[in-house]
Order: sequence, then C-alpha cells, then structure tokens
Amino acid sequence: MKEVELDCYGEACPVPLVKAQNKLKEMEVGDVLIVQIDHSCAMKNVPEWARKEGHNVEVEEIDDGEWEVIIEKMK
Amino acid sequence: MREKKREQYDVVIIGGGAAGLTAGIYCGRARLKTLIIEKALVGGLATYTNEIENYPGFPEGSGGLGLMELFKKQAEKFQVKFKLTDVKSVNFEGDKKIVETFRNIYEAKAVIVASGGRPRITKAKNEENYLFDKGISFCATCDAAANTDKTVMVIGSGDAAIEEGMFLTKFAKKVIVSVIHDEGKMDCNEIARDQALANPKMEFKWNTIVDSFEGEDHLDTVVLKNLKTGELDPVKVDNCFEFIGYEPNTEIFKEVLKLSKQGYVITNEEMETGVPGVFACGDVREKGLKQVATAVGDGAIAGVNAEKFIAEEEVFEKQIMQKEKVGLIYIYSAIDAPSRELLPTLQAIEKEYEDQVKLNVIDLYKGKSLCDRLSCDVEPMTIFYTINGEVESISTDCSVPAVKKKLDELVKQNKGA
Repeated sequence: MKEVELDCYGEACPVPLVKAQNKLKEMEVGDVLIVQIDHSCAMKNVPEWARKEGHNVEVEEIDDGEWEVIIEKMK
Repeated sequence: MREKKREQYDVVIIGGGAAGLTAGIYCGRARLKTLIIEKALVGGLATYTNEIENYPGFPEGSGGLGLMELFKKQAEKFQVKFKLTDVKSVNFEGDKKIVETFRNIYEAKAVIVASGGRPRITKAKNEENYLFDKGISFCATCDAAANTDKTVMVIGSGDAAIEEGMFLTKFAKKVIVSVIHDEGKMDCNEIARDQALANPKMEFKWNTIVDSFEGEDHLDTVVLKNLKTGELDPVKVDNCFEFIGYEPNTEIFKEVLKLSKQGYVITNEEMETGVPGVFACGDVREKGLKQVATAVGDGAIAGVNAEKFIAEEEVFEKQIMQKEKVGLIYIYSAIDAPSRELLPTLQAIEKEYEDQVKLNVIDLYKGKSLCDRLSCDVEPMTIFYTINGEVESISTDCSVPAVKKKLDELVKQNKGA
C-alpha cells in the first residue's frame, strides 16, 4: 500500500479534479492519494467525485483555506 | 484495516451548513464539547451561491462562501471542532448515540442532524457520464470563470437557475435557458424574471426538458425535447448548469428517523425528531421556506434544545435515578390540589428514613420530559420506587402505611446488597 501526494496548490477548477482522476487511475486498490488544494471550488467536486466512484474520502484542513483530500482507492 | 478510533463528545452535529454551524455556535457557547462533521466544504449549499442579498446584517450583500466562513469562525471561537468526512452510519438506539465515519466512531449524548440537501439531477440519458468536470455543473460561482466567452446552458427557471444564469452572462457569451413552462412563465421571482428576459445574452427554450446529453469525452450537445410537439432539439453548448431543486441527504437515516415521502426528516417546532436526544434542523427538515435565514433559526432551536436535553439527562441520571439510597419519586401537579397536598407528608417520610431514602418530586407539567423518561403516561399522585438506580415498582397508592411498608422492604433489600 503506498501513499501519493498530489500538489494542486494554486490551481483552480477543474484542474485539481482532472489531475486527481488521472493519478488515481495509475494507482492500485488500497493505495491512498492525497490531493493538496487551496481553491474552495475543488472542495466541492473532488470529494464528491471520489465518493461517487465508491472510494473512501476524508479531508483535513491544513490551514485556513488549505486542504488535503485523502482518497483511499477502493476499486 | 486498523481499528476505528473512538471519541466522545457532548454533541455531534452532522452537516456544516448554515443550520449546523448555528447549532454549533449555540452548543459551543453553552460549553458543550461539540463536533461538526461536514463531508466536504464547510458552509454547505450556501457556498454554491454567488450572492446572498437577503441575509440580514449585510446591506451590501455577501458572497455565499464569505458569509459561511464568518459562521465557521464564530463556531471556532466557541471551541467547536470540525471533521471533514462523510458519515457512514448512525445508531441512535442507546443513551450513547453513535456516529460512524470511515476511520472513527463518535459517541455523543445528543446528535443534531443538519445534513441538508444536494442538487437534483435531471436523470436524462447519459447524464452520469458528464457530471462535474465533464460538462455538467451545479455551481455557477465555482465554474463561471472557466466559461468565459463560451456558450452554456442552464436547466431550470427557479430563483437559483435565473439568478445564477444572469451571473453566468458576465462571463459566457451566451446563456441558453431550458424552461419547462410556456413562454414567459418562470418559477423565479418577478424581478429576476424581468431582468432575465431583458438580458441580451440570455436565450430561452420554452416547454423543454432534457432528453439526453451527448459528446465524445466532454459534453458538447444537450438534446432538448419540446413537451408540446415532442420535437427533439440538439443544442451545441460548452457546458451545462442544472438548477432544478434539491433532494435531502437522508439515506443513512432511513431506518432510524421518521422521514416524509420525499425523504425529509419530520420534526416538531422544537426540532425534535421523536428519538430522544436527536434533533434535526435546516434544509433536511420537512418545512416550507429554505433559506440561510430560516436555517439559522432552526439551528438555534436545535442547539438550545440539545443543551437542555443533556442538562436534563444529567439531572435524571445523577439526581433522580441516584444509586446510593432507596428512591422515592413522587409525581405531582401544581394545579392538582390533592397531589400537591401530599408533598409535606412525603417530605416527612423522607426525614423519618434519613440517610436511607431519597425523595425526588417532579411536577408533571414543568418536568414533562423527565416524566417521559420514567414512563410515557403518568398521572399525578404516582410513586416510582427505585433501588440501585433502577425503577423497582410503580404505585398509585400514596397512603402513608403503604409507602412505609414498601420503603421498609426496599431499605432492607438495599442493606442486604
């Protein structure tokens, strides 16, 4: 099981979502992808997309307006 | 898989929108250990709105996101904790309410459900393939800038559809609105309607619904269907925004709370769900007007009542159901003379059994919720006998010999134990 960090700081929608989708495709089931974002728009579509796909999602607020979306690939 | 971490709180609030944040402010200020669980961005659906002009206190208007950040700051000031994840399941059966996420189990004395709603989708053909980044969006504020000089479609004619549609005209070169009604008729307020009709960048397709969404990887065509003629009308667009109302986030409450036919949580005006210690507030409730202003009102009521519930629970556990002595709980009513007149008699009995018997009196009307905890229907002049914190028997015989006989028996039993 590996953990991958994806730096999306400074990137606006839909860039973080597209990057996260591409990255997750390369990963194995059980791996964890950590998407780092600081645009609130990505907080609406990245967790929602990942949950809809059936993955486990949790978000950590690192700082005011900075988040890590933690996605555990489930399938 | 690692074992889930258990954490204890006084109050767990499910949902961090306007209602949940307000409930959090009230609970935090009452010094309750409070946790708000939000699945994504704190602020809820209000953050999808570009402009909130009718929330009092902001005469210049406020952005949805900015306003919700202020709510959050205020909750944090009162030490409210936030956890950004979604709730997988709940169990409200015991005194300890359980709220489970994928990594944690939270135990709470009271739970406030403020899980709100989410945008409804059209359920037209191929819609699933284009959600979020592939052409179908629900948030003009989020995606407007990415549509500069593009052609977009808006589905719906309510306040959200028309107001967000007009906001999009600041960026897009053309905004085509699919309206289900006859020409000129919209669900939004009249001011918005007149402004929209006069907006040169807006074009309307009357009597239409979406038949299908088409495109290679990304949406490029929305096929509209005319409800009157049945005619299909493929419209080339770069992106599509759906604003056709909301549905409640109540899947995990289906078996545990009473829901309306549409899936909203049914509560009374005190935000009580019918499950003791579980309250619901905001858009998730079955109610009329759904606005930030009404969510705030709901949240305040839910927060205060959660606090009251926890306080009463403590009185009930520590005082009424005390374990040290044999308990004599007397239910009376201040407006019922015979039951009132018995009070001194019972106080005298308690004195006689000093150190061995503890008398608690509950006014049936003022302490109704305490009575409810003992039993659903009690009449004035009912006595509950308790031993070791448990109800041993219930009696309506309040004569001095009968009470003393019972107490003698229980005191003996208590000493023997």
